Amino acid sequence: MASLVSSPFTLPASKADHLSSLSQKHFFLHSFLPKKTNSNPNSRPSLKVKCVVGNGLFTQTSPEVRRIVPENKNDLPTVKIVYVVLEAQYQSSLSSAVQSLNQNSSFASFEVVGYLVEELRDENTYKTFCNDLEDANIFIGSLIFVEELALKVKAAVEKERDRLDAVLVFPSMPEVMRLNKLGSFSMSQLGQSKSPFFQLFKRKKQGAGFADSMLKLVRTLPKVLKYLPSDKAQDARLYILSLQFWLGGSPDNLQNFLKMISGSYVPALKGTKVDYSDPVLFLDSGIWHPLAPCMYDDVKEYLNWYGTRRDVDEKLRGPDAPIIGLVLQRSHIVTGDESHYVAVIMELEARGAKVIPIFAGGLDFSGPVEKFLIDPVTKKPMVNSVVSLTGFALVGGPARQDHPRAVEALMKLDVPYIVALPLVFQTTEEWLNSTLGLHPIQVALQVALPELDGGMEPIVFAGRDPRTGKRRKSHALHKRVEQLCTRAIKWAELKRKSKTEKKLAITVFSFPPDKGNVGTAAYLNVFASIYSVLKDLQKDGYSVEGLPETAEALIEDVIHDKEAQFNSPNLNVAYKMSVREYQNLTPYAPALEENWGKPPGNLNSDGENLLVYGKQYGNVFIGVQPTFGYEGDPMRLLFSKSASPHHGFAAYYSFVEKIFKADAVLHFGTHGSLEFMPGKQVGMSDVCFPDSLIGNIPNVYYYAANNPSEATIAKRRSYANTISYLTPPAENAGLYKGLKQLSELISSYQSLKDSGRGQQIVNSIISTARQCNLDKDVKLPEEGEEISAKERDLVVGKVYSKIMEIESRLLPCGLHVIGEPPSAMEAVATLVNIAALDRPEDGVSSLPAILAESVGRNIEDVYRGSDKGILKDVELLRQITDASRGAISSFVKRTTNKKGQVVDVADKLTSILGFGINEPWIQHLSETKFYRADREKLRVLFEFLGECLKLVVADNELGSLKQALEGKYVEPGPGGDPIRNPKVLPTGKNIHALDPQAIPTTAALQSAKVVVDRLVERQKVDNGGKYPETIALVLWGTDNIKTYGESLAQVLWMIGVRPVADTLGRVNRVEPVSLEELGRPRIDVVVNCSGVFRDLFINQMNLLDRAVKMVAELDEPVEQNYVRKHALEQAKALGIEVREAATRVFSNASGSYSSNVNLAVENSTWNDEKQLQDMYLSRKSFAFDCDAPGAGMTEKRKVFEMALSTADATFQNLDSSEISLTDVSHYFDSDPTNLVQNLRKDGKKPSAYIADTTTANAQVRTLSETVRLDARTKLLNPKWYEGMMSSGYEGVREIEKRLTNTVGWSATSGQVDNWVYEEANSTFIQDENMLNRLMSTNPNSFRKLVQTFLEANGRGYWETSEENIDKLRQLYSEVEDKIEGIDR
Amino acid sequence: MASTSLRNLHHHHHHHCSSFKRLPPPPPPSSLFLKPPSTTTSSTNILSTTSSSSSTTFSLPSSTTSTTTTSSFDTLQHLLSTQNFRQADEETRRLLILLAGEQSQKRGYVFFSEVQYIPETDLKAIDELWRKYSNNKFGYSVQKNIWKKVNKDFTKLFLKLGWMKKLDTEIEQYNYRAFPDEFTWELNDETPEGHLPLTNALRGTRLFNSILSHRAFEGQEEEEAETGENGGLRDGTKPLGNKFLKPNYSF
Repeated sequence: MASLVSSPFTLPASKADHLSSLSQKHFFLHSFLPKKTNSNPNSRPSLKVKCVVGNGLFTQTSPEVRRIVPENKNDLPTVKIVYVVLEAQYQSSLSSAVQSLNQNSSFASFEVVGYLVEELRDENTYKTFCNDLEDANIFIGSLIFVEELALKVKAAVEKERDRLDAVLVFPSMPEVMRLNKLGSFSMSQLGQSKSPFFQLFKRKKQGAGFADSMLKLVRTLPKVLKYLPSDKAQDARLYILSLQFWLGGSPDNLQNFLKMISGSYVPALKGTKVDYSDPVLFLDSGIWHPLAPCMYDDVKEYLNWYGTRRDVDEKLRGPDAPIIGLVLQRSHIVTGDESHYVAVIMELEARGAKVIPIFAGGLDFSGPVEKFLIDPVTKKPMVNSVVSLTGFALVGGPARQDHPRAVEALMKLDVPYIVALPLVFQTTEEWLNSTLGLHPIQVALQVALPELDGGMEPIVFAGRDPRTGKRRKSHALHKRVEQLCTRAIKWAELKRKSKTEKKLAITVFSFPPDKGNVGTAAYLNVFASIYSVLKDLQKDGYSVEGLPETAEALIEDVIHDKEAQFNSPNLNVAYKMSVREYQNLTPYAPALEENWGKPPGNLNSDGENLLVYGKQYGNVFIGVQPTFGYEGDPMRLLFSKSASPHHGFAAYYSFVEKIFKADAVLHFGTHGSLEFMPGKQVGMSDVCFPDSLIGNIPNVYYYAANNPSEATIAKRRSYANTISYLTPPAENAGLYKGLKQLSELISSYQSLKDSGRGQQIVNSIISTARQCNLDKDVKLPEEGEEISAKERDLVVGKVYSKIMEIESRLLPCGLHVIGEPPSAMEAVATLVNIAALDRPEDGVSSLPAILAESVGRNIEDVYRGSDKGILKDVELLRQITDASRGAISSFVKRTTNKKGQVVDVADKLTSILGFGINEPWIQHLSETKFYRADREKLRVLFEFLGECLKLVVADNELGSLKQALEGKYVEPGPGGDPIRNPKVLPTGKNIHALDPQAIPTTAALQSAKVVVDRLVERQKVDNGGKYPETIALVLWGTDNIKTYGESLAQVLWMIGVRPVADTLGRVNRVEPVSLEELGRPRIDVVVNCSGVFRDLFINQMNLLDRAVKMVAELDEPVEQNYVRKHALEQAKALGIEVREAATRVFSNASGSYSSNVNLAVENSTWNDEKQLQDMYLSRKSFAFDCDAPGAGMTEKRKVFEMALSTADATFQNLDSSEISLTDVSHYFDSDPTNLVQNLRKDGKKPSAYIADTTTANAQVRTLSETVRLDARTKLLNPKWYEGMMSSGYEGVREIEKRLTNTVGWSATSGQVDNWVYEEANSTFIQDENMLNRLMSTNPNSFRKLVQTFLEANGRGYWETSEENIDKLRQLYSEVEDKIEGIDR
Repeated sequence: MASTSLRNLHHHHHHHCSSFKRLPPPPPPSSLFLKPPSTTTSSTNILSTTSSSSSTTFSLPSSTTSTTTTSSFDTLQHLLSTQNFRQADEETRRLLILLAGEQSQKRGYVFFSEVQYIPETDLKAIDELWRKYSNNKFGYSVQKNIWKKVNKDFTKLFLKLGWMKKLDTEIEQYNYRAFPDEFTWELNDETPEGHLPLTNALRGTRLFNSILSHRAFEGQEEEEAETGENGGLRDGTKPLGNKFLKPNYSF
């Protein structure tokens, strides 16, 4: 327990000095704009560093502003009160209560000091807190829900509890609640006692029960007291009165509260009669308006009053004004800390919107929302949109959330739901200064959790002043309030406007900047989807005029400039914006000049005007989002920590908002650049580009369901309502060409091996395997070499295992089209994979396990045997796979009609499940060796699969879009991998990530152990039995969301620690695993967090950093603790503390993403690998320091390089079947293999591994094996590329992308075999027919394909014949001419 | 300048002091105080004249118009004439709350929609006092001129008025100044034009917007054209005239 890390943000005193030294400034004071050289003459640098870093924590406020020491002229007894609260709104009310007491009281003088929970992180503040408690009479705590701080409070108060006269804790974590004591009344038994009093707290274990039970307690006071012995009754009564006073929050109530407690429990006042009034009670929930004479309990009464207001005009009072519902916290109203609420109300009313501001005192707002915002008679919403100003999840506040209940209430309400937030843990200035933006704990509580309710637009609308007195209250941030209110009204207008008048701007992407790439989106056939969406909207009543006949014609419209003569290289220009107009419409334009000079610049410009590309059809505008702008000055921008949007980019959004006047913008597919523009990570300010660019336009964003992490970035930074779409149905890769022959040969070997032809067939197998380049994957004997029958079996088994691996690999075929769900038969492969996973939490066994069991085998043993190449296990596994497919196909067939569509799954299922004998899977299995499979288990499994099937084929994508455009609520749902988590289905949900404090889960830790153990074993085998000393690995946001933190847990397991969850199930602590239990040395790590991971999981980065530092400081032999070993060496070499040397958690600077190696590769704009490596180092060497978390990401390149130089292995995870190594550019973008080799003193290339947890049988393969597997299943697989070709224009681009990404792997790791390029060349270039199809379908992408081949050769990654190269060169000029419209 | 109706109020002083506990100690007895709503019925003439000449977007309850005597501004005049800008600023805020009606007094702040109740003459009087004792550097009308020049952008206005301070971060950004220490309470060459009186932004900019849009400050264009402001980005094409009373829906 002693070494348990429980105070994450603690800070050794020496650190602060170090950090505030001015010379270090630029290392941690980086910002998202390139550094300005000329500093402002008015600036005071000494102050600056202090205010940004100070103690290195998130907030520098001091409790001293809350300390009141009485003059006590009359020598009265002194009562000292110490309080700790989350809600700063109590401080001014308490201060004024105490001041009045001191002025008027004749019995005692009051000393008070208050702490905001967050301040207790600071060691010195904590000490002062402990000292203050030593002579305190009364302790008060409220809403203490942050575990590490709760434990600090508990430790400090526990020591003094017996001595204290009274301890009062209002809703908080149970640990803190147990401290309550008032005379004979104590809560120390909380959670254990059977007394009815405590049972009340337990009643609603789920949800926000805790706080609401407390409220209920207050209401049911008399009943409760009946159960208590009479002597205790008085104390319990006073506790309940205290709660009423506290919840009543006004200075008067608090004054009486203090009188009551001190009069009753402070010994010095024994015998003094202290009078107090009863609490003034306010409504628990109701409607409040600053001008109204009272609070209302009935919305009709409120609206009646509203109608009589004489201060506002007829328009606002009348029936035609938009109506915005506001959700407020009662404590802000009763304590008088409501300026920020008033600001929002005034802003909305001044903009012509009526408001219904509702409040609740508990933590569950779902009841009040239903009661006050839904018309009880018509069940229709009384409002057009709702803005919660609490920042909290609708049900549960900071305590225990109940998202299903929140969603249920919001579904009934059915209006757009925005959750804005006031700063809680930071002052305004601290937030403005922070590149992280919002405090990570607040992000977890008030951004991530509301997202699970479907909350949108986390806009920070109120700040705090650090000083004392009234100014401690929340104050409006005027520009933020404007942004929030205009957006809320815009959403409300969507509910009010008719379809015919609504204007919609569809935005497509183009990256890399090439015409062949217009309409890029992951897994999506963008133009076909847009076409189908527009057709549907047209039918629905939207004004869509002049839509061409086909999707292809739509593409032509957008990508060709009709005014140009031939096939122009330019896109269609929708609008020319003069520089003057641009400047008028774009108030932030001057901020772009530092990077881009005066407008118009070179990008999206004709030299005089800014050009907006796209095409308008009636009220719909299809526009092409400008690019990031790297092509403007690639090297400078790729190297910079960050950049700014260019003028063309800004002009696009100015056009959409102010000239086209869109009612909503629809960003089409995963993903564009808007949300990745520089700015704070979360909690945008006025100068953050995503916020300025999106302006006041409601943003609806079609996002791939499997990418919740980046979708979350879009939600938080560009205020998107992200609507999920399905990735194309996966199919098994199958076998082709030589691989198919091999499979046939193996099959004949199995039947003929004992016939004397065995050797002959094995020889054929070996030579065919060689032709297929399998010799790198399987050790093949020399040709003609005589081998024993047993060895023959093993060779065949290994080859067999390899080709089965290829065959059964899943790949998404073709591209998804919105509104076209997969047919049932297309979903079979998906279902087979869903069926392959055990789901103990649902009581569902996996199909392979059931089948293996029926023949007396354990599936894990079969997997292992098959991996080893034991022929009979490989064969059994194949039979299991075949039987699984067969059983599921037969099941799916029975639920579909002749056209292959699922009809009435529900009915069919009932009829199927109703008659045991006729179950189709049983029929199928009865003809296989698995006829004895457990029927009951199968029934449970297939019931589950039936549900999944219904969801897979459900089509909500268009429906949800229409809901969003009609100003309705879009049901939220998790993003992720449908195979692991079928709850992702059906698509068409507002995607969210997860509670960032919920990971890693115990299950994730279990899976992580398996992978780490296999990885370490594999490395030992490849590396002479030695353990790797350091593993460099990557953490992805999506990966960790899908797997609930598996890769995060892998890191913890490598260094030998385990996560510890608190009583609310949140993970904020780790403890070391003993070396005995670990059974191996602690392995050092270098963790490269993606920018997205950093944004979503900063708390987990903090956890990791604490874990690494803790391990480095363990008193263990260095040969058993490589973290310590390296940290000691590095500390010595750099002359720093071990703790600082143990910096292992890196990422980009705040507000910047990726190493940009991918962009350089995609643009072919790099000279040599060294340059790519420099780029990687310059962008990825920013560390997060748990000792100075408020400083954000700090550049620590030296430590980064030193840590990387010890790496023996590099490692990444593949988590879902549809995204593999060459599908996206970000895997190679973050690969440091060649870089490590350069940094290592011995120049040795590290081993590179990829873990593949996409199937039940998790694998750790080398990188080169994985690249080969990927090439075989995708780029070179006819099934895959024909599937792509059937998507036309976009399909060609997909093929080209795979090749480009392959070159990326050559560049960063050198792990691509020559034959991959060679085979690709014969598939796409030597085949005349294929070549012509590619060229005519998308000449721009084809040109890039040819160019990439030439580049692969030019950079030395592909050696081939001169003939091949000549052909490519010739093709290149041909296609160039074709594109330029030159006919030869 | 003072309204003709500001007469008969002296005797109600004591009723209302208690509602101002947040404000500085009451000024000398001669200063203003409030007339209870039941007795204020007389001053609508000014308002109705005004509203007929500008668009009548608001209907005004006659009973809530508070009025003052000429002598009500004595304190303000005294404070300003002795260059006690700090107290004059407090006094101005107190006056605004008083003038905006009983509701504002109970609440302790003015809701934006209550600004219309402040009699034009009174607001003008306050403004003129400020201008008079600051060589036309202070006052609402001074602030309004700047506001128009920055296209009614409050961030830009606050910067011009010196109400926000630049933060020393790499990106250019500003935070609100802390009251009262970070404001300038002297009149000298460095004091930004329009720096006083303050209207706080704790509750956003709508109150300030209403004050600057008050009919008391309408029709300043000519005046301003005469004084011939030094350069600036003034877009003098269209007079803003009586647009002020309408809520601005555009953003």
